[in-house]
Amino acid sequence: MIKQGFTSNQLSGDGGPVALTSRHILGMEGMSPIEIRALLDRGHMFADNPHDSISDALRGKTIINLFYESSTRTRVSFELAAKRLGGSVLNIAVAGSSVKKGETLLDTATTLNAMHPDILVVRHNCSGAALLLSQYVDAAVINAGDGRHEHPTQALLDALTIRRRIGRIEGLKIAICGDIANSRVARSNIHLLGTLGAELRLVCPVTLLPADIENMGVSVFTDFEAGIKGCDIVMMLRLQTERMAGTETPSQREYFNLFGLDSGKLMRAAPNALVMHPGPMNRGVEIDSGTADDVEKSLIRTQVEMGVAARMACLEALIARSQ
Amino acid sequence: MTATRFLNAHLFDPSQSIDGLGYMDITGGVITAINLGTPPKDRTIERVIDCKKAMLAPGIIDMRVQSADPGSEHLESLPTLLAAAATGGITALACLPNTSPVIDEATTIDSLCLRASRIGGPRLYAYGAATKALAGNEMAELGLMAEAGAVGFTNCTSSIHDSLVMRRLLAYSHMLNKPFIQHCEDRALTHEGEMNEGETSTRLGLIGSPSEAEVIIIDRDLHLLRRTKARYHVAHISTRAGIDAVRKAKNEGLTVTADTSPPYFLLNELAVSTYNTAFKLSPPLRSEDDRKAVIEGLADGTIDAISSDHMPVDRDAKMQPFGPAQPGASAVDTLLALCLTLVHQGQISMTRMIESLSMAPASILDIEGGTLRPGGAADFILFRPQSSWIIAGANFISDSRITPFESHPVQGLVDATYVNGLAVFTRD
Repeated sequence: MIKQGFTSNQLSGDGGPVALTSRHILGMEGMSPIEIRALLDRGHMFADNPHDSISDALRGKTIINLFYESSTRTRVSFELAAKRLGGSVLNIAVAGSSVKKGETLLDTATTLNAMHPDILVVRHNCSGAALLLSQYVDAAVINAGDGRHEHPTQALLDALTIRRRIGRIEGLKIAICGDIANSRVARSNIHLLGTLGAELRLVCPVTLLPADIENMGVSVFTDFEAGIKGCDIVMMLRLQTERMAGTETPSQREYFNLFGLDSGKLMRAAPNALVMHPGPMNRGVEIDSGTADDVEKSLIRTQVEMGVAARMACLEALIARSQ
Repeated sequence: MTATRFLNAHLFDPSQSIDGLGYMDITGGVITAINLGTPPKDRTIERVIDCKKAMLAPGIIDMRVQSADPGSEHLESLPTLLAAAATGGITALACLPNTSPVIDEATTIDSLCLRASRIGGPRLYAYGAATKALAGNEMAELGLMAEAGAVGFTNCTSSIHDSLVMRRLLAYSHMLNKPFIQHCEDRALTHEGEMNEGETSTRLGLIGSPSEAEVIIIDRDLHLLRRTKARYHVAHISTRAGIDAVRKAKNEGLTVTADTSPPYFLLNELAVSTYNTAFKLSPPLRSEDDRKAVIEGLADGTIDAISSDHMPVDRDAKMQPFGPAQPGASAVDTLLALCLTLVHQGQISMTRMIESLSMAPASILDIEGGTLRPGGAADFILFRPQSSWIIAGANFISDSRITPFESHPVQGLVDATYVNGLAVFTRD
């Protein structure tokens, strides 16, 4: 869905908030390359000026972080992003709230809606939950992760991280490795990086590969070293504890052996290949500490830093759209 | 014993190959004459009804309905279910035993059927639970339930998983000469599943149930059937592989039958793309190839019957994210109109369609109805196949108003439904 008629000036990072076609940010699927580039440009600028007050777009605005799953980095990152733009932030962690007493997602939504927030940032363990919520509230909704579906701001911060280091995304060979089946990060990155012209490879055990994913414009590898061969970026995904032993993978030891990243395997990638991970990491399961902490090769800390900038661009764009 | 003549009707009865303008006489709830052309003068006729060229066909026999009553009457009571069925042209329906209490003994069959006959309207039949409390382990009192009128046995919405239990159930049903109705789904493959597995489930991040789960159970049961010789019926068949297996078994001479429901020949998995929980059904909506296979199966008779698969669902259970939402939808109100879609599209003949809604289920369950033969019960409908309307759950007679066909335009409207010669529904 490419909206025609934008001039580059309207959309550039310096030109103020990004104009979005949708009033929510629920996923990267369907977001136009123009919008994605504009959000990245704007995020770039926020990242360049982390402490200057470039925009107070959220002054007088209320942002509610509604998290049904535990999260440290995403929640803090949204909070910081909102505060840097002058907004007031309310955090609702589900443990200890009325949700535990059996209140449904939609009842919670209605209750929160009555408090007139401007933006609702929601994370939920069910795919489609953010979309459902967006149909019942007046606020703009940002999907901060819905089940196995999407985590759009993670993809934006990943792309911003790559752009700041390499300067482009188009033409890069990027391997996304690990638990693809259960990863919303993988899906959002497939949409975003694919839309911007990266060559995408998925590398994972066949038991963690969802059906027909080749149709999403990616190539699939079950041999780790073949999969990352010649790649500019190796993006590792977290393996959930409950999947480390059972019928998806036999053991942590075997998983690390076949699909974990260490400096030896990384040699197969392109000479200056960079390593990414959305966090939190399982050291010694999908990635070894030497690789994760290698300041030359690992972008993992930059990813966290870019999270704030990318989310500032999203929050600002939604507030601008609602006015 | 009033003699009534239905005049100027477009008679349509696949069981007698009747298709044309004519008349039908009934007396005392029994069809006494049916003929094409102008009727002879008959002084014994006391009442004449001009059908104005509406189609007069055997009443619909809906062989798969879930009743929320007893147990969850707040979702739908028996009187509303029967009234909704009558509106949809259904003259007989067979209820699954997954009520509360479960229909796993003779007295519960008696009680449900007795209540239905007191309420009046369509005839109500009940299946008996194949296993006690539907737990899948111990055989229920099939013989006593058969004596009380059970038209078949089923474990409702789950397959019998233990192959030994299944073997014995088939053998015992055969001894009682009652059909065994199986919902075919290998739960080991699907217990986490949220929709059909494929590109759509991958895009939506929903856990996929592989379509092979259906044919795995069918294949196992067919192997057992060769040994036990029973009347085996596959409920709401939805996959190409399952249909192929049934087709081969029929060619081999096994006593296998199957039914399907409108969602499986009118919709596919892409409908789930917006996470709309009205499209969450069991079995899940399948691929386009499966949908085409269902139509082919209906056309060539591999799939004998069409049932509504009516299931009252609590609105709150649907106002959820897709994963935890309850499967199921209301369906008796819309059965005929949705089926006629395939006729209007030229994919299935009217003969085959009416047969699959009446004669076929009557024969599978071995109950009366499904025909307009003189001497049979006067269970029939008057309908106008071309009348168009738009499906709106809010207008359903059923208390349960969730339908995957909300806002669908359809053609085919029931004018009147007769059971035992009495109008149980007439449109004003």
